[in-house]
Amino acid sequence: MNGTQVRSRRWLIVAVAALMVGGLSACGGGSGGDQSGSADKADLTWQFWVGGTEDQAAWQKVADQAHTDHPGITVKLQGASWENYWSKIGTLLASGKAPCIIGMQSLRLASYSNALLPLDDLMAKYNILAGEFDKPIMDGLKADGKQIAIPYDSGPMVVFYNRDRFKQAGLAEPKPGWTVDEFKAAAKKLTTGGRFGFVTTPGDLSSLPWVLTLTGAQPLADGKLALTAPSFVQGYQGYVDLVRKDKIAPPVPAGSTDFQTTQFTAGKAAMMVDGPWSVISVKGQTKFSLGIAPMPAGPDGSKSYTAGSGFGISRSCKTPDAAFQAIVSMTNQKPLAALAAAGRAYPSRPTAHEAWFTAADIHGARETLDYASAHSVPLVTSRNWVQASDLFNRFGVQALNGELPADQALKTVQDQAGAGS
Amino acid sequence: MATANSTTVVPPGAVPAARRRHGRRGDSRYAWIFLGPSLAGLALFTLFPTAMALGISLFDWPVFGQRTFLGADNYTHLLHDPIFRRVILNTSLFVVLYVPLNVIVSLGLAVWLSPRIRGRQAFRVLFFIPVMTPMVANVMVWRLLFQPGGLLDAGAESLFGVHAPNFLGSSNWAMPAIVAMSVWQGFGYNFLVFSAALDQVPQSQLDSAAIDGAGLLQRFRYVTWPMITPSIFFATTMTLITSFQVFAQPFILTQGGPGVTTQTLVMYVYNQGWQFLNMGLASAAGWVLFVIIMGITAVQFFGQKRWVHYDV
Repeated sequence: MNGTQVRSRRWLIVAVAALMVGGLSACGGGSGGDQSGSADKADLTWQFWVGGTEDQAAWQKVADQAHTDHPGITVKLQGASWENYWSKIGTLLASGKAPCIIGMQSLRLASYSNALLPLDDLMAKYNILAGEFDKPIMDGLKADGKQIAIPYDSGPMVVFYNRDRFKQAGLAEPKPGWTVDEFKAAAKKLTTGGRFGFVTTPGDLSSLPWVLTLTGAQPLADGKLALTAPSFVQGYQGYVDLVRKDKIAPPVPAGSTDFQTTQFTAGKAAMMVDGPWSVISVKGQTKFSLGIAPMPAGPDGSKSYTAGSGFGISRSCKTPDAAFQAIVSMTNQKPLAALAAAGRAYPSRPTAHEAWFTAADIHGARETLDYASAHSVPLVTSRNWVQASDLFNRFGVQALNGELPADQALKTVQDQAGAGS
Repeated sequence: MATANSTTVVPPGAVPAARRRHGRRGDSRYAWIFLGPSLAGLALFTLFPTAMALGISLFDWPVFGQRTFLGADNYTHLLHDPIFRRVILNTSLFVVLYVPLNVIVSLGLAVWLSPRIRGRQAFRVLFFIPVMTPMVANVMVWRLLFQPGGLLDAGAESLFGVHAPNFLGSSNWAMPAIVAMSVWQGFGYNFLVFSAALDQVPQSQLDSAAIDGAGLLQRFRYVTWPMITPSIFFATTMTLITSFQVFAQPFILTQGGPGVTTQTLVMYVYNQGWQFLNMGLASAAGWVLFVIIMGITAVQFFGQKRWVHYDV
């Protein structure tokens, strides 16, 4: 090999190595996580899911509340779509570069709680009382007994119904305390002319309240998935039977998360189960009068799950005090009432409920939500819940369409998700 | 003497050996400089991540928490995982159904349009539209066709009084529904490739074959086909590679359901990595996909000698 070749090869190796080192350091870099300051002076970043520019503007106003209350603190919102949000914060939290303030949903809390700071000490320090918020969602945002996030919205799963179709069929509207038998009788009468009385979905939040109200069974026992317990199987079978045996709901397609909403809003199904956070948007899509009622009562009365979301602080945050003060401002009466009035969230503070009731203007909403909230528990999830939820969606479709017996579907979810912890 | 002179005689235009070597060296340096940016890109964005993925696949690599070296355990897990086996089966089924259908439809339409008929260009544009429109929009429209109470279901009910199958909710129908949508969406590209190849077949050769008494099928079999085999090879190779990587259609149409009956290899990688944050298993599955595609592409390249004619 002569000198020129050696030189050119060396030159090439040096160039490639320099590029790779540059690339590696670029991979190691990132945004966020760089906040510094004190308890009263900090520039904070808040990672949250937003649905578009209008949504972003509404949430930025929530962030601005922190600056209004604490002039030294600014909160900058970084938005991502719901679908991308979870993978994004997953990587950010793992790299230790996460922003200080993190949006967190109660169902996913268990998967991310290790990377978030418990807030109990800060709550005591700044005199924030858990009792100011709806209890089920405060409990829903706890992991191992520690408060991980402060909620901004909450809500028990309830039955949405088409008031016009109830009226046309000569049926009395559902009232708190109505039973599963009354629900089935109404749905049967409403299933006529290619339209159905109810529409199911394999999703966890809509199917699990049925299991709970029918048999009282919960998906977790001692923090681990217990989907093959006889009472859980029996309750889930009851839900599947609404499609298979009672034939009051249509078969479901796979992978269509909006199927139940589109069937309901199009008037093809007269009832569905959803959370209060959907009420105002569903009302905007319907041409009929919308009503909501609590889950029908099973043998032990009406039971439902509460879910919701809030804000937590990443463990890598250098100014947890400032972040906590910002979160307190963002979950205060004023921003929550503004969000409620804009139809974005059913507030986690009972004192802000009034603004939501006025904006929603739904028949029987107050009575229903008060009753349902009192009869609900948080849906406590396991660390592997994201996986379990995905499997519920997959094998629930097969169960609801009669391709797989309910017990086998549950066994598959249980086996594939692993016991979890 | 001729022999004495022959050592010094230089043919016109030839370059002395020493200068030739020097020239090559000079060229080689410039070649490296010009290749540099793309080589650096290849190293940084392809080779490095591929090697990194191989490394990660040997670990239990959760996004948070402790990473543990597992050796080949992720691969053993995949081998014994009934869902992964089903995912391999689904992907193969998609490939086996989609690739031939795509080639038949695109070649059939290209042959149909190859005579200079009126409105030929308009048809070409029309057939290419699904390739250009965003996949997400296409899939949304097909979902409205396929779902219970959708256009096909409502149409079947009003015309024949029976419900159409629950295409997206039935394990038997979901994969054919995805293949149908994918063929509609994807055939336009190969159609253009074949149309261009068919236009290159000299009319004179087809005419002389016709004069010699060759019928329509014989002309296609013995004149057209050998001449378009390089394009068919290109189209099948590319279609095969992309169909092994199918993701968007099942992801948006069925999310891989019902159960896991339409979950494909890339979806499995995505779910393990980005939904369940299990990077080790995702990387191992990614490598399995890589090896499958490499293997099949290699077989195709070796097999092409038997049927692809570059010299006609």
